[in-house]
Amino acid sequence: MIHSLDPRMNRLGLPDAPATAAAKEALDQFGTYEVFHQKKEGTPYVYVGPVHAPSADVAFLFAKEQYSRRFACTGLWVVPTSAITVTAYVGDQESAYDTLPLLPTSQAPTPPPIDDTAEEEAAYAAGEEDYDVFHLKKRGKAHQHVGKVRASSPADALQVAKAVFGEQRPVVNVWVARSADFLRSDDEDRDIWATTPEKKYRDAISYKVQDRIEKFKQEGLGQTEA
Amino acid sequence: MYGSASTHDQPTTATTGLENEDPILLAEFEARIARGEKIEPSDWMPALYRKQLTRMIEQHAHSEIIGSLPEGTWITRAPGFRRKMAQMAKVQDEVGHAQLLYSAAETLGKTREQMLIDLINGKSKYSNVFNYPTPTWADSNVISWLIDAGAIVNQLANAKGSYGPYCRALDRICAEEAFHLKYGHDAVVHLATGTPIQRKMIQEALNRWWPAIMTFFGPSDKMSVHTEILMRWKVKMASNDECRNQFLDMYVPKIWEIGLTLPDPNLRKNEETGQWEFTEPDWEDFKRVINGDGPCNAERIAVRRAAEENGAWVRRALLTPKMQYVRPLA
Amino acid sequence: MPLTSQDPRIDLMYRLADDQLILGHRNSEWNGLGPILEEDIAFSSMAQDKLGHSLQMYSMLHALGEAEPDTVAFTRNAPQFHCCQLVELPIGEYDFSLTRHFLFDHAELLRFEALASSSYEPLAQVARKLRGELKYHALHANTWMKRLGTATEEAIERMQHSLNFTLPYALGIFEKTDAEPEIISSGLFVGEDELKSRWLESITKVLAQTALEMPEVTTLTPVFGGRHGQHTEFLQPLLDEMAEVFRLDPTADW
Repeated sequence: MIHSLDPRMNRLGLPDAPATAAAKEALDQFGTYEVFHQKKEGTPYVYVGPVHAPSADVAFLFAKEQYSRRFACTGLWVVPTSAITVTAYVGDQESAYDTLPLLPTSQAPTPPPIDDTAEEEAAYAAGEEDYDVFHLKKRGKAHQHVGKVRASSPADALQVAKAVFGEQRPVVNVWVARSADFLRSDDEDRDIWATTPEKKYRDAISYKVQDRIEKFKQEGLGQTEA
Repeated sequence: MYGSASTHDQPTTATTGLENEDPILLAEFEARIARGEKIEPSDWMPALYRKQLTRMIEQHAHSEIIGSLPEGTWITRAPGFRRKMAQMAKVQDEVGHAQLLYSAAETLGKTREQMLIDLINGKSKYSNVFNYPTPTWADSNVISWLIDAGAIVNQLANAKGSYGPYCRALDRICAEEAFHLKYGHDAVVHLATGTPIQRKMIQEALNRWWPAIMTFFGPSDKMSVHTEILMRWKVKMASNDECRNQFLDMYVPKIWEIGLTLPDPNLRKNEETGQWEFTEPDWEDFKRVINGDGPCNAERIAVRRAAEENGAWVRRALLTPKMQYVRPLA
Repeated sequence: MPLTSQDPRIDLMYRLADDQLILGHRNSEWNGLGPILEEDIAFSSMAQDKLGHSLQMYSMLHALGEAEPDTVAFTRNAPQFHCCQLVELPIGEYDFSLTRHFLFDHAELLRFEALASSSYEPLAQVARKLRGELKYHALHANTWMKRLGTATEEAIERMQHSLNFTLPYALGIFEKTDAEPEIISSGLFVGEDELKSRWLESITKVLAQTALEMPEVTTLTPVFGGRHGQHTEFLQPLLDEMAEVFRLDPTADW
């Protein structure tokens, strides 16, 4: 047994010379989920990164602590990576919408009406669904939610998004995903973040040590070894 | 907590493989970097860029997860509520950083599980400093302050690199490290200005760790092959010597002001050149340790292996046949 | 600090605080050793929360004349602790740690829901504030129980075994002290019997969604003693380890 300075490891019992682990036949690799958070009420959801998880509910548990434990948060979405449709990436001054196949004018979608319930219902009945749309404004930054569109497929969603949001520039990259594929925090569960700002022990600003250093210097205690 | 990009393959013109790359795509790629635009995962990139970045980000990720262990040694013994909770949060952050970095490396095509297997089979490297022990609470504090300080110097430089997912991860990591640095400084100052027992403890820990700290940024640039191409591609952002000098400039005065000494009689700043002078670290010893013969190498790997083996049933239970791994998007 | 206090508030809050401290300490042992990176992070957060909760309790106790939180936490020995024996047990394998988390945090969530209307306003305030944190803890525990309790044969067997082993200890959460009648009559808290019946209902509901069988609780002998200072052989070594550095010089500022 390896004797460790860490009492936890001694309880674990570590063999001296472990056999070389055989390469796994099949990797026990979960799927990945992409995570978006909202820093402040009323602001757009922003991409924060992925988690590995076996299911959306577990992905949510994981995302909450990995991405929202350290800074203020008012909401969280997770969606399977495989559910996101991605356009080409273009340069920082361009629009990714320009890389979509051009549709003849007759087929080009018009932005869907917002308040026309009857028409909306007919569209849903015909198999259309809501899609969430995200833009990347600059390479190296994070995708941001820009809104929802109603469409019959991811490709269609991109075309509709172009009609609705295509004037925005630059748009380096666009993600669309079916709204139904997201797991989202409930408004009523927002209190799971209520105490985050109070956890001062993990906040840099709560460590103020300058007074102690000044007092120490004034008392000349540091001079003994100089 | 990662400080050295010194284990890159040192590409020479004969081994870059660049002659096999499409010259037009290569020119576009280099022009994008030269304009200051980031590279994103689905962009075309030279095989060498992908290989070197994967290696670097993977090593960085391993350094976080292994780097959680020397401080983890004191997680059950931190004195007082404030320290106990902060030590837990700090160790937790290191694991969190590993998660972020593995994710960034995954976007280049290597799965996280494969990286973890390579780690426990000794095929991948991590920051060499974590092969040294933390025999006292004060050793843990020295890491929290000075190793993290060194890592921040390196990470702030790398955050200006060319690969988008790595930059995003580093932005987040640097924001979290601000707490580590302040916490570590606070803990060290409390010991250095405290009782005789505390002062002795921190001075001895500093003496133990100083040689390792001086190797943290890797061998002098004079001693390594010129990595011009990695600099041009913004994979390697600052030279080892620059990082080390910046670190010494920022932290040696802070060490001295609390009455601590450093075990190197040659350590001084040359006011004319602005460069710090010091006794050259023992690079032969560094090589010996990084190649496996250090005081804690076997334990660090054994711990990761035990965690992997003990958790295998949980992961097995949650896998479903229809589950398909897709590499993260960004 | 006397083991039986005249003040029912002190009696009650010591039990809560000691449970939280010891379980938070135990769960922090997983940090860096968890089965999945993300789970490692989540489990550590909840351990930190537990420590935070105990600190709040000890601070309220301090306001009632007890010693400083650090002194109380880091200098007492096992016989002076009021935690139930459930929280002292070593972390074991992940099935046990998850089962303990599930059983304990359901009780904790329900306890704090009840304390939100405590006649002792400072305690009621804290209980209301911590509700969100405990909600996440329970969500985490339920999700894991449901996932593993419906997964592979291996996982179900492990979880069932852990449940059978842990339940008698979990019943020890509800061990009463002499102050119980006054705690209830003064409106401080609904009492351990009431809490236990709410808890049974709550965990049974979750377990019903799994392949796990809830043992017949009436046939189990609860593991009592912790609330009266009788502990397992694991508590004193835990305390010695926790205070190893602190006790080098308890008057020093660490």
